Amino acid sequence: MKTPGRILAEKVAGAGASGRFSVRSGNLPIWCPGCGYYGIHQGINDAIRRLGLPHHEVVTVSGIGCAGRYPFFADTYGLHTVHGRALPVSTGVKLANPKLTVFAVGGDGDGLAIGGGHLPHICRRDVNVNYILFDNSIYGLTKGQPSPSSPTGFRTKTSPAGTTEAPLNPTLMVLSYGATFVARLFAGDPEGITAALVEGIGHEGFSFFHVYSSCVTFDKEFKTWANLNRRIHPVPRDLDRGDRKAAIGHVLDDDFSMGVIYRA
Amino acid sequence: MRAIDLTVEICGMSGDGTIAAGALLNAAMAKTGLSVMAFDTYPAEIRGFGRCVTRSRIGDESMVALADRTQVLISLDDEQSRSRIPFLEPDATVFLDSRPPALVAEGQSLAAHVEPENSLIGVPFGDLSSQVAGSKRSKNIVALGAFAGAFGVPPEAFREVITVKFRSKGGKVVDVNVQCFDAGYRYVHENHPDRVTGLLSPKEGAGTGDRQLLSGSVAISRGALDAGVKRYFGYPITPATPIMEYLARALPERGGAVVQMEDEISSIGAVLGSFYAGTRAMTATSGPGFALMTELITHGVMAEIPAVIVNAQRGGPSTGLPTKTEQSDLQAAVFGGPGDSARIVLAPTDVCECYRYTAGSFRLAEKYQTPVIVLTDFFLNNRVETVTLAPAAEQEIADGNVYPDESKKGGYRRYEITESGISPRSVPGQEGFTYSATGLEHAETGLPDYTPENHMSMSEKRQRKIAGALRDLPAPEEFGDDGPLDVGVVAWGSTFGSALEAVLRARAEGMKAGTLKIVTLFPYHADRIRSFMARCRRVLIPELNMDGQLANLVGHLNSEEVIRLNRVTGVPLSPREIYEKIRELGG
Amino acid sequence: MVRAMAERHFVVIGNGPAGNRAARTLREKAPGDRVTVVSKARQSCYSPHRLPDFIAGRITEEKVLVCPYEAYRDERIKLRCSQEAVSVDLERGQVVLGHKEVVPYDGLIIAVGGRPFVPERLAPFGDVVLTLKTLEDAKAWIERLEQVDSVLLVGGDLTSFSVARALIHLGKKVHFLLDGDAFWPLRADDELLATVADSLSGMGVDVISDGELKGIAALAGGGYEVQVGDWTVQPGMIGAFCGLVPDVGFLARSGLRIDRGILVDEYLNTGFPGVFATGDCAQIYHPELRDYWVSVGYENALALGRTAALNLPCGEEREMAEPESVFEVKGVSLDTSWWKGF
Repeated sequence: MKTPGRILAEKVAGAGASGRFSVRSGNLPIWCPGCGYYGIHQGINDAIRRLGLPHHEVVTVSGIGCAGRYPFFADTYGLHTVHGRALPVSTGVKLANPKLTVFAVGGDGDGLAIGGGHLPHICRRDVNVNYILFDNSIYGLTKGQPSPSSPTGFRTKTSPAGTTEAPLNPTLMVLSYGATFVARLFAGDPEGITAALVEGIGHEGFSFFHVYSSCVTFDKEFKTWANLNRRIHPVPRDLDRGDRKAAIGHVLDDDFSMGVIYRA
Repeated sequence: MRAIDLTVEICGMSGDGTIAAGALLNAAMAKTGLSVMAFDTYPAEIRGFGRCVTRSRIGDESMVALADRTQVLISLDDEQSRSRIPFLEPDATVFLDSRPPALVAEGQSLAAHVEPENSLIGVPFGDLSSQVAGSKRSKNIVALGAFAGAFGVPPEAFREVITVKFRSKGGKVVDVNVQCFDAGYRYVHENHPDRVTGLLSPKEGAGTGDRQLLSGSVAISRGALDAGVKRYFGYPITPATPIMEYLARALPERGGAVVQMEDEISSIGAVLGSFYAGTRAMTATSGPGFALMTELITHGVMAEIPAVIVNAQRGGPSTGLPTKTEQSDLQAAVFGGPGDSARIVLAPTDVCECYRYTAGSFRLAEKYQTPVIVLTDFFLNNRVETVTLAPAAEQEIADGNVYPDESKKGGYRRYEITESGISPRSVPGQEGFTYSATGLEHAETGLPDYTPENHMSMSEKRQRKIAGALRDLPAPEEFGDDGPLDVGVVAWGSTFGSALEAVLRARAEGMKAGTLKIVTLFPYHADRIRSFMARCRRVLIPELNMDGQLANLVGHLNSEEVIRLNRVTGVPLSPREIYEKIRELGG
Repeated sequence: MVRAMAERHFVVIGNGPAGNRAARTLREKAPGDRVTVVSKARQSCYSPHRLPDFIAGRITEEKVLVCPYEAYRDERIKLRCSQEAVSVDLERGQVVLGHKEVVPYDGLIIAVGGRPFVPERLAPFGDVVLTLKTLEDAKAWIERLEQVDSVLLVGGDLTSFSVARALIHLGKKVHFLLDGDAFWPLRADDELLATVADSLSGMGVDVISDGELKGIAALAGGGYEVQVGDWTVQPGMIGAFCGLVPDVGFLARSGLRIDRGILVDEYLNTGFPGVFATGDCAQIYHPELRDYWVSVGYENALALGRTAALNLPCGEEREMAEPESVFEVKGVSLDTSWWKGF
């Protein structure tokens, strides 16, 4: 079967000399074959490369979860913290040395559940950190429990009868928190991720990248590649990206538009 | 013997200006060259709901503890002040408002409750304030004038501190308050000439008053500033907030920043992030906040990232007693959090040490790549003392970072196992030394590694590193008699001062007694503690906690059970309580 | 009325010998009731007649205090020192204290004593003339005496004779301007004055009995120059002893009948139920003399204090106030029990 992960692995093998993967560390990611995080990884790498950022001036801060392991796979300074705390730690890093380019990365459990309390505050502080939320709507590292962005009725081992809670909408949340740069992206579109990151890293202030991904191992019914591929579409061209109210209205209506949605 | 040893209390309802009056009293007494140690208690409620008491011990020699009894009570609210009567010396002087706004029923005046031996000085605080200032608001200042008049304090000292306090409100406010002070001063001379003593008038050869009047909180802040702290991340919590308040003004002036975070977890997180990136940072909190920090503190231990955390203890557990003092976070500071997570814990015993050991903690944190916890308490943070701060020694505040050798470029192993346990640490921006720090157990490279051999050797390395820090940490100090002791008191934190005063009292009565001050709680100087204990027939460990947390930590170093004196009354252990225990044990 | 069965509150104003004795007697006779003593003085009860001995250094301050604070606590007598009664509301049964506290009473004994009387002739020199009533006064005397060798005493009341003796004991030169006004509100007759002058001279006191005080001037080097008749003396300090004036100004609007002191019947009652006056502040009716007499002296004060207290709680057993040891001076009884030994 040609999973996206396998396709990516083939591309990696064929593109060594191109320098496309120079930002990768020598450690191979431990994600499942077919995981959307490979695509996000590539999107970030390409952005760093395209901007020509010296690797030692980049710090990647993460929490806990499948996405939390990300720093080990990048040839930058990395800080794999505890569960849910990537945002405050990255705040400390950025304020300590503003010359650094700082990424905060983490999954939906890490960033919306245990660490959800930090999100409004980094938005209102507008710290120049680039937060990439790897949203596959599931706890993968603990083998498949519902997360705050899982759909109502989602059945897992800890929710055998299906969840009763409504999902959070992180893009809508940060728009209402006052985030100054908001993009919604798709793990299956590394180029789209790179383009948004290049723009967002250049943005002086907090940048939020909500990346839809798929957990191929534990989610067979909701955010599958097939479902995501069928539904996603670009953010309409006529959306005024400088208009927070319009952005919020759009996000309320449309869960699957991809691209930069708001920029102050 | 001290020629002057006077404890003055001002008691009122919140809103009466009690705390402000206490601060002016302390400042004025310091101006006259006398030593002051003062401690206020105030309600946790915001305003208008509780009793405020300031307690100032004034002496001609510096002091190490508060006194047991009060010689002067200044009542700004008679109902509240009633509670202070049991603490008065039999011949105490009591100042009260002799002209309350209306007639009061029998028993509502403090006069109905004082002992007949007390010297009662009635002064129309409110009326004089109204006459001079047009409102009763300055009655606290009138009361200070009455005190100064009766005890012979040079009025200039008060006028000066009143001027400084009200300067920002304009010359008129200054004048009015100085006049209120003068009115109280004059009133006592005119109406109570028989009560006027010269007890506090300046003596020949008295100090010049050049010492500073500092609280533990300010001393901590100054220590951090002198050590070059650049970032403060914190969340408001009693009694640590004054540190953030002080730094919020002082740090920006030195190119730094204070960020009020959303909670204590994010505060310690940002501190770790800052140190990770090579910039000195700190946070200060109290028990509940400290509990929230413990996971990230152990992350600092595991990932070997420096951090400086002040834990100003208050009564616990849980929210506990926010405005009361206690020493019940020792175990949490030393052991709190998951796993074997040895870190450095220092507990200053007085205001000078608050300065010195906070300043020194940054270098220690960097050198040993570990969180350093400065463990203080409500009493130590909030009390003020007249002190002369010796500027922090250069070698104690110098950069403690051990950076990797350029020759290691390419094959950099961040967590290289060394004899000292210290592995050179790169910081972001340093080319060729990228690595990932992690809270997972990791190999020398920093990559996760859960193999049995690795976890064992890495745990040993971290333990070795902390044990090796002992040589840089303040050693226990002995006070008192040499040779065999009837009773030896081992004490820490703010209780040490009371222990020392108790021991001095016991020695004055011919007992063989001594005390051991332990500042370094972890790692600890086992040999030094053991050798002191070996000299003691009985070892007493007084603490403001129920568990006997220091006794639990070091009691095993004695050949027999140590004696514990545990109190959780919310107030400092008094020298008398310890003294009585010494007598009981030594008899 | 609920109040009928409740604990009663007896208030004594004044803590001199009479007030003190009244309070202790009340406690003895009414063990279940509350007793409060309000005293303007800073110290506990002291005996004024021991002050000369205190000045002479023959006894300590403790010996002057006749009733230690502990005794009040032991006897459950609430002692309020340094607190002054500023008015009495007889209708409501309340005493108002200087600091505006209102103390209700069921029975009241006024024993405020007197303050030193300074006759008009001496008033212009008031600020250089010392009097002796309180312990503080005695301390002021002691302090001043350290610096002077000679003293002029003016007047001649009972206390002054003891003071003269104390000063001689201290080796001071004593001039005594003996004065018929000295026994205010009584007036000594010539015979008595002559006897007194003889006794004083015998002790080595320089008695000036026929002069009029004309002027006092302060000398540059300390001390005074005093013109008495044709004489000039240069004492280091001057003391006035002209008796006591009842300290009852605060009662002016109370409705109590006041002449020189508070007028009371032979049972020490003021005419208002439950309100008594006793000791130096009372002017006491004597049914046989059909006139008022004034108590003088320590023993009398004790006896009167006790009498008032016995008559107050129940009002059934009535005891007459009787001067104990009396001689007549112009129809008024005068106790001499303590100065007879002089």
